[in-house]
Amino acid sequence: MQTLDEVAVAAPVKKAGLRLLLLPLVILAGMGLSVEAGLLGPLGVQVGHLWATLSIFGVGSAILFLLLLFAGPQKGPALTDLPRWQLIGGFLGPMYVVVLTLATPHIGIAMTMIAILSGQVGKSVLIDHFGWFGATRKKVNAERWLALGLIVVALVLIARG
Amino acid sequence: MSLVILLAVVVLAGAVLSVQAAINGRLGESVGVLRSSLLTFVVGAVSTGLLILFFEPAHALSLLDVPKWQLTGALFGVVYMMVMVGAVPVVGTAVATVAVIVGQLGMGMLIDNFGWLGNPAIELSGSRILAMVCLGVALVFMYRSSRQAG
Repeated sequence: MQTLDEVAVAAPVKKAGLRLLLLPLVILAGMGLSVEAGLLGPLGVQVGHLWATLSIFGVGSAILFLLLLFAGPQKGPALTDLPRWQLIGGFLGPMYVVVLTLATPHIGIAMTMIAILSGQVGKSVLIDHFGWFGATRKKVNAERWLALGLIVVALVLIARG
Repeated sequence: MSLVILLAVVVLAGAVLSVQAAINGRLGESVGVLRSSLLTFVVGAVSTGLLILFFEPAHALSLLDVPKWQLTGALFGVVYMMVMVGAVPVVGTAVATVAVIVGQLGMGMLIDNFGWLGNPAIELSGSRILAMVCLGVALVFMYRSSRQAG
């Protein structure tokens, strides 16, 4: 699960050789996300969307628990000391996965991914422009509006098949 | 469900995902990626489990009946997370995000076109290619606007 907002906080980094080595790895990791979505769709049709979602979060929890156990002591405050609202993320993840299993059998994986990316771009542009959810209102420049417009065109193209 | 409603739901899910990523980003900074991810996954598993217990109708097949390779989806998610943790500090967030999207859409098109992993085969049509091109150009604009701001 990644987001496009990160494009907006671009930071220049050096080490050119290592970059070129790592780039194919990052592309492979992105391909993995589509494989994950590709596995989810048919699984959801067979065993139910919520069960398919549970398989992702159940297996993920188990693997991460083992990784954490062997990674040794972690820095930072205990999870129980965190502000409660920071735990909401856990409820939002399953929503996203359920929608993935619902949508991919109907519109395919590539188009589902485009629609997801549209939501990400749209959210960041609109929140900045209108200052929703208590965000400070920022001027959204022409290029980001153009990006949003192009994404709407992409969505219309998908909807028309 | 009609296609337009479905599409709207998916777009909304994308917005939800980026809210989640923003919250988890903050969480990861304070407690580390492993613990923040574990927390997200456990809360996700528990809440999905509750929904299943009370709302999910019975199905002819269970998770134990399907071929095991169909259950490997989570592995790809965890590997993705580890790669990003290692690569983002070196290649930068913007480049990493674009590389992920390239991989995601490329692989998505391949799976769709050939119907891999038990998915219905959807042939690559003119409008699908155009949709990809629109997204590609949109990404270029997003990237350029962020460089101006920075």
